[in-house]
Amino acid sequence: MSGGAKPVSRAAVIAVQIAVPVVLVALWYLATTRWGVSRILLPNPVAALQALIHVLATGAFLGDLRVTLFELAVAFAISATSGGIGGYFISRSTWRIRVFEPLLSAIYSVPLILFLPLYVLWFGLGPASKIALGASISFFPVVLNTVAGFGHVDRTLVTAARAMGASDVQLFRFVLLPAAFPVILAGMRLGFTVALLSIIGSEALASLAGLGHHIVELSENMEMPGMFAYIAFVVAIAAILNLVVSTLEARGRRP
Amino acid sequence: MTIDTAIRISEVSHSFGEEGEARHVRALLDTSFDIARGELLCLIGPSGCGKSTLLNIVGGLLAPTTGRVDVFGKQVAGPMPRDIAFVFQESALFPWNTVRENVDLAMRFQGVAKAERAARAARALTAVGLAEFADHFPGQLSGGMRQRAALARALSLQTDILLMDEPFGALDEQTRMILGEDLSVLLAQTRKTIVFVTHSLGEAVFLADRVAVFSARPGTIKKVIAVDEPHPRKPDFVTSQKFTSLRNELYALLHDEIRKTMSAERARPPTPGALS
Amino acid sequence: MTALSLRRVAASPALGRLIVIAALLAIWEVAARWLVDPMFLAPPSQVVWRLGATFGTRGVPGAIGITLLELVVAFALSAAIGIAAGLVLGLHAFSRKSFMPMVLLVYGMPQITILPLFILYFGIGPASKIAFGVTHGTFPIVVTVAAGVQNIRPILIACAHSMGADFWQRLRYVIFPHVVPTLFTGMRLGMTGVLLGVLLAELYVSTAGIGYFTTLFTQNFDPTKLLGLVGTLAAIAIVLNALMRRLERHFGRWRD
Repeated sequence: MSGGAKPVSRAAVIAVQIAVPVVLVALWYLATTRWGVSRILLPNPVAALQALIHVLATGAFLGDLRVTLFELAVAFAISATSGGIGGYFISRSTWRIRVFEPLLSAIYSVPLILFLPLYVLWFGLGPASKIALGASISFFPVVLNTVAGFGHVDRTLVTAARAMGASDVQLFRFVLLPAAFPVILAGMRLGFTVALLSIIGSEALASLAGLGHHIVELSENMEMPGMFAYIAFVVAIAAILNLVVSTLEARGRRP
Repeated sequence: MTIDTAIRISEVSHSFGEEGEARHVRALLDTSFDIARGELLCLIGPSGCGKSTLLNIVGGLLAPTTGRVDVFGKQVAGPMPRDIAFVFQESALFPWNTVRENVDLAMRFQGVAKAERAARAARALTAVGLAEFADHFPGQLSGGMRQRAALARALSLQTDILLMDEPFGALDEQTRMILGEDLSVLLAQTRKTIVFVTHSLGEAVFLADRVAVFSARPGTIKKVIAVDEPHPRKPDFVTSQKFTSLRNELYALLHDEIRKTMSAERARPPTPGALS
Repeated sequence: MTALSLRRVAASPALGRLIVIAALLAIWEVAARWLVDPMFLAPPSQVVWRLGATFGTRGVPGAIGITLLELVVAFALSAAIGIAAGLVLGLHAFSRKSFMPMVLLVYGMPQITILPLFILYFGIGPASKIAFGVTHGTFPIVVTVAAGVQNIRPILIACAHSMGADFWQRLRYVIFPHVVPTLFTGMRLGMTGVLLGVLLAELYVSTAGIGYFTTLFTQNFDPTKLLGLVGTLAAIAIVLNALMRRLERHFGRWRD
């Protein structure tokens, strides 16, 4: 910060990063075994681990995982296409950008999970309401990023291409799309992440199946080890999906 | 050390990083030099030759790996805000303060009493010709005006020494000429000791009493050229025979060093992101 | 009005936005009146007309009031914790290098999975809603503030140092003013997080909160009241967000 600050010891940093989780797990273990924290509040970490192994080994998660992934796939397919196409058309005119972008941003500033009760009213407790919510929420980052991507293409590139005789299709394919691609891709990644979170969330709130619903079911039955196992599982699934999507995005950025 | 020596540099050398580390670089070789009170010394040399490093060491912003610097007989062990003021190349004005507030804040750091600050600020701003723009933000000013403001800030501190690190480097040539002339006039009115780092040959000859030419990295002072012309220097000095021959001498000295620096850079493979 | 200025007004984006909103409301009105079963959709005119009855429903104003209270408390806590932690992580290199990866890891986790745990630990009252709001709101603030402190141009610190400023002066006159605009960006993001956290918890379980009423109106097939309630909450969210953006723009003036 002030030029010439002592460099930070890497070894010490790594030591802290290892120590903190170890200490936390140790505290967790002691809390449940020696300090008398109720099993209803906090399961024994060993029991939770065993439950997790059991779940993974028996494949008990498959049914719920299938439901959640199905909802995610359909919701994202809807939002990606509608957001991409809608975003492109809005970006074609400055006036349209100025009209629609603030409206879309304003709506996105609302926690759209609020509309879940409406979707449940219309579609019931089945996958349809989750898909509708997932698609609605993830639509916004996609469309906003698409508008930004296409809207900020350097004017000089467009002028140069037109001067060289490019048609509308050629302009789109060889100038607009490549130029806007990184930003659009980032919007897609964001949309995917948001769709996943929205779907798991709406499953927890109002559903009959799916990973989010299962966690809630386990908590209502006070099956703490199982619940912790499923939480770990869902967090891992979300992390894996995010990693996959981020890698795809990084790959897509490279020319 | 005589009374007339403002800055004494004794066997100063500097390296960044530890030996054997990837980022180890010897920036400055053993350098010794005396700067007289009231003179304007220019440091000129190819990129990376250590002239800015030396300036930071003289000003107490960097501790040298070896050697020492004495200012008016006192060893430099950190910033000396009452004796030394800096003007940096990129705008170091605080963008959230107006020009006047920037000047006032510098004096507050130095420890000037509140009653005196307003008057000193007004004088400094008038001296650089920015009195009308005192309540503007730096973002609203042109590059040349920002550097005038930076100069006003340094002047208001009323230090005996001014260290300037390529202050006009980011400006276009015409603005540089004007600011250079104004600086020369200011110099004649006060008796400040100025160390001025620059890349520009013409600027060095126009402003300096002496020019110290640096070698390529690791840098050391290769030769010192004297410019025997009283301040304030007239604009027509630039067209005189004396100016041209001095400039040519500088060019000859520097040309080889610049070539050396360029070929050293070509030999190193470009690091990713180096072109960004 | 001259023909030219009339055209300029018609081309104004603000007017365009109003037209779009009006068109959407019109479609909604038509669809609700004549096309869709009234069990599922109520026209906007009716929703607005019957807002009084919606708020007159016993418990609804109380529910909204409690929700607002939870929002305020959660935001205040998030801001306090977030700014403090953000400043420390931004200024202290060792802490940042050690703890920031952990912060980012937890920030990226789907927190909804541990909502049942929050209810278990904090009960079904406002405490769990506030706690869940705080965990959603703190992280964006910490990350934003830390980044803001970090990306101050080193030359500004060097300059203050050269002029004789000590650590506290540097903090007060250089670091803090530099960080203020980023602080407001962080707080806007924090507000969005708090809104999400509190509303999620409210919808999940409440015996007298808005979650209770949304479930009630849904099960009674009363779209008028449901839309009224949801619409009001959405409006509150929009207003809060617009307010934060205003503040952010105001304090970030010198950056442009």
